[in-house]
Amino acid sequence: MTKRIWNQCLKEWAQFRRDRLTVALAFLLPLAVLLIFGYAIRLETNNIPLAVQDFDRSPLSRAYIERIFATNKFQPTAWAGNDPLENAIDPGVAKAAVIIPPDFSRQVQADQPSPVQVLVDGSDVNNARVIENSIRATTQFFLSSSGLQPGSPRVATQTRLWFNPGLKEALYIVPGTYAVTLWIFPSMLSSLAMVREKERNTIVQVYASDLSAAEFLLGKGLAYLAIAIGQALVVMGVGTILFGVWFAGDPTPLLVGTPIFLANSILFGLFVGSRAGNISGAIQGVAILGFLTALLLSGFIYPLSNIPFPLSVLTYIIPTRYYIEITRDAFVRGAGWAGVWLFLLALIVLGFLLFNATRRVLSHMQLPD
Amino acid sequence: MTQTTRTATVERDFQSHESVIQVQELYKRYGKFTAVKGIDFAVRPGEIFGLIGPDGAGKTSTFQILSGVMEATSGEVQVLNRSPRDARLATGYLTQQFSLYSDLSIDENIRYSAGLRRVPTARLQQRRSKYLKLMGLEQFGDRLAGKLSGGMKQKLALCCALVSQPEILFLDEPTTGVDPVSRREFWDVLATLASQGVTIVVATPYLDEAERCNRIALMYEGEIQQTGTLAELRESLNLERLELRANRLEAVEEVLKTNAEIADVQTFGDRLDILVPSASAGETQIRTLLQQHQLTLNDIQPAEVTLENVFVTRLRQQGNDPPFIPFPRSKSTGVKQDKQVAIGVRNLNKVFGDFQAVKDVTLEVRYGEIYGLLGANGAGKTTTIKMLCGLQPPSGGEMSLAGQTRDLRNSALRKRIGYMSQKFTLYDDLTVVQNLQFYCGVYGVPRRARQEKIDWVLETCGLVGQENLLTGRLPGGWKQRVAFGASVMHEPEILFLDEPTSGVDPLARRQFWRLIEDFARQGTAVLVTTHYLEEAEHCQDLGFMVAGEVVASGSPSQIKEEQPGQLLELVTNQTQAASDLLKTQMEPWRVSIFGDRLHLVVDNPDTEIPQLRSTLDSDGFEIHSLRPIPFSLEDAFIGIVQRTQE
Repeated sequence: MTKRIWNQCLKEWAQFRRDRLTVALAFLLPLAVLLIFGYAIRLETNNIPLAVQDFDRSPLSRAYIERIFATNKFQPTAWAGNDPLENAIDPGVAKAAVIIPPDFSRQVQADQPSPVQVLVDGSDVNNARVIENSIRATTQFFLSSSGLQPGSPRVATQTRLWFNPGLKEALYIVPGTYAVTLWIFPSMLSSLAMVREKERNTIVQVYASDLSAAEFLLGKGLAYLAIAIGQALVVMGVGTILFGVWFAGDPTPLLVGTPIFLANSILFGLFVGSRAGNISGAIQGVAILGFLTALLLSGFIYPLSNIPFPLSVLTYIIPTRYYIEITRDAFVRGAGWAGVWLFLLALIVLGFLLFNATRRVLSHMQLPD
Repeated sequence: MTQTTRTATVERDFQSHESVIQVQELYKRYGKFTAVKGIDFAVRPGEIFGLIGPDGAGKTSTFQILSGVMEATSGEVQVLNRSPRDARLATGYLTQQFSLYSDLSIDENIRYSAGLRRVPTARLQQRRSKYLKLMGLEQFGDRLAGKLSGGMKQKLALCCALVSQPEILFLDEPTTGVDPVSRREFWDVLATLASQGVTIVVATPYLDEAERCNRIALMYEGEIQQTGTLAELRESLNLERLELRANRLEAVEEVLKTNAEIADVQTFGDRLDILVPSASAGETQIRTLLQQHQLTLNDIQPAEVTLENVFVTRLRQQGNDPPFIPFPRSKSTGVKQDKQVAIGVRNLNKVFGDFQAVKDVTLEVRYGEIYGLLGANGAGKTTTIKMLCGLQPPSGGEMSLAGQTRDLRNSALRKRIGYMSQKFTLYDDLTVVQNLQFYCGVYGVPRRARQEKIDWVLETCGLVGQENLLTGRLPGGWKQRVAFGASVMHEPEILFLDEPTSGVDPLARRQFWRLIEDFARQGTAVLVTTHYLEEAEHCQDLGFMVAGEVVASGSPSQIKEEQPGQLLELVTNQTQAASDLLKTQMEPWRVSIFGDRLHLVVDNPDTEIPQLRSTLDSDGFEIHSLRPIPFSLEDAFIGIVQRTQE
């Protein structure tokens, strides 16, 4: 059995190596995606125009306002008197506004909830969320630094700010990009390797021998796992150099988790390839199913907590979701095994399911009717 | 087991009629469509069994079931007394596209196949060199499969199948589109393998190749019409064939067709093929008939019935004869008497990168003439046609089309040209009638005439009442007929047909050629490509292309007559052994096995025939017959190619 898996593996390797364009693309495209995501995605913008109406005019309210602008996330927008602040947001003069009620200092000091009103331009959903989160975080920071209890039980810090206080975005984006890149490209290569056999009818030769589906899949998978590990090394190496992302703690969970995640990716590609009838079908399958889910349902851009039911259930079968946790832990949090062992387990289970699903598709090793 | 004892066992088995393959009541359905409709046959050990039929006959489905890559819907199939799936490692299967990895080298392909089929590494090396040597590929081990010619690909695929030393080989149209020389070499290898005890089941669309099988099954529309040896099939026909040559063939054909005693008449270029119950009685009858109609006859002589005659007659008995309906013409200018040059080409060249696809091609086609461009896939036929149609600019050379030499893409000129490409130009997602209406519009067929032309196409294709069928659902052969119809509706003066008949059944092929000949008689200049050499007999003029060059040209009779030497047919008690012996005595290409007989090409029959007799006698062969036979076009071309190589 091992001999035949090895035979299959060597053949895949020879085929991959032969096509220089594929080899080049296998390493250049992931880098391109890394650069695009690493440099172009900005979840948090700076210098957001913010208008403030202070009806309290107390030292406390002034200190609060100072605190907000001290984050250099916001830029003060001049706003005269009692003109309703909606008029500033509607034409886009300000992206957000803060209204401090007349009894602000009195209520805060009385340890009562302080109804500071925050208006945010919701047309840019991402920014709105960022603004909302920063103001909330600033408020909490202000309250605790002023020696006061946080006024509202709803005031909660955002994890991201908690672990990334300097607001260095690369730390947040780059580990996620590793996960998305290493999900798409290995699966793309393996799905093409699978569907090409069908499209060129070479699969018939395999069917005409007694090679089992498991041997076939393992042989193909191993060759592409080696290639994918190469891709991972290149992507993470370049990421480290360009974005200065380095291990925050114990690197072993990442070292163990990466091959398992790559195996998931390859098996997903083989699954799509075994279901698709031709190359364009396989590419669309990987692009739509793989890319979109990895991008949108993995917590890469949108926090998982914001994904509504029943879509949220779907996120549990997205391997990228778990790997993002592992990479973010490795490069940002640094909690180590204690924090991520469950995610590794989830990846192993998903990989096993994908392998069996693909094996079932090919189980007869025969032409379909 | 040594070679000799193995051969001996095989021969004993052969006589005891034990079968290695048994098929009973085999059915294969794909949804509503039934591809194989309850076929029965048995194959004996060591024989070459031919499955002959057009595209869509169910041959590939049968092969896929026999080789164990597809499940049968119902029926009993036993291969080596096992289920086909359990017998997979003891069989070898060559699919139509050969299943080779084009991005792997010859060695890598063989090694992978060996690994799939559990061949030990030590054996692999030994067999690899043995079979590569047999196929003449040993010096190309590092070459990528994708860079091999069709003939070499086919040999490599056979090597890959042989490396596990299968007891049975399934070969699904291994020679389609391969040049005649490679085809003949391939069949010689098959004969060698069969003599070593390998059982071979082979499908082919070439009826001349089918004649090299021990037994033949004629398959059509999912059913086996008849099974037997070539001699049995010929005998079962109970008809004899006459070849007739006359000046006014058309008129002679009309006269003979009305006579009930004559089973079949067909024009073949400069002669008529006539099937009659008895050659001698038929001859006298034809002579009197022609005298009554005051038609002169140049020559009439008996000839052997071909497999094509058998197949066509069987199909006709099934009522599958497509009708011939004269084309409704609206242009009165029809016949051009002056026979001007319609297509003129001088030193045409086409270079793609560092590959010369067409090299110094020169040809001339007059109005009313059929010019056949022959050659294997990749010989440059399609590229030549594309340049003539203005679809591709030439790299060099002069062209004239309908008297014009410049701007061959202008629309006025294009309306006078019809082009049927190899890949169907019909839209699969339109209905048949929508396709035809579209092409009427494209070529500017006057509105009044459109309905009449469309009706003609539908009637000719036998699609009346089914005109709203989606084109994509038609079988290949039917699509081709519709595509032909679509390309002639505007009554072109010049017609380009690129492989119009590949994969079409023999009856439909005849219909095609009647239509083509009818157009030519009305003055259309026709340039047609084909890889069926027997079809080339329909053409007045031929060009045979090899690797982009026209290596031979002339009329079919001219080409055959210009062949030096003589073709001999030899029947002995041991065909294979005689072939092996003779190949050591003369150049190997001069000897080839045709079923139970040998064909030999000799340059000096007067001295060589006695020499042959004495060689064979001294080695203990019994000579049952040794007689001169006429060259076929294929023999002629193989001779030309081999002599230019020398």
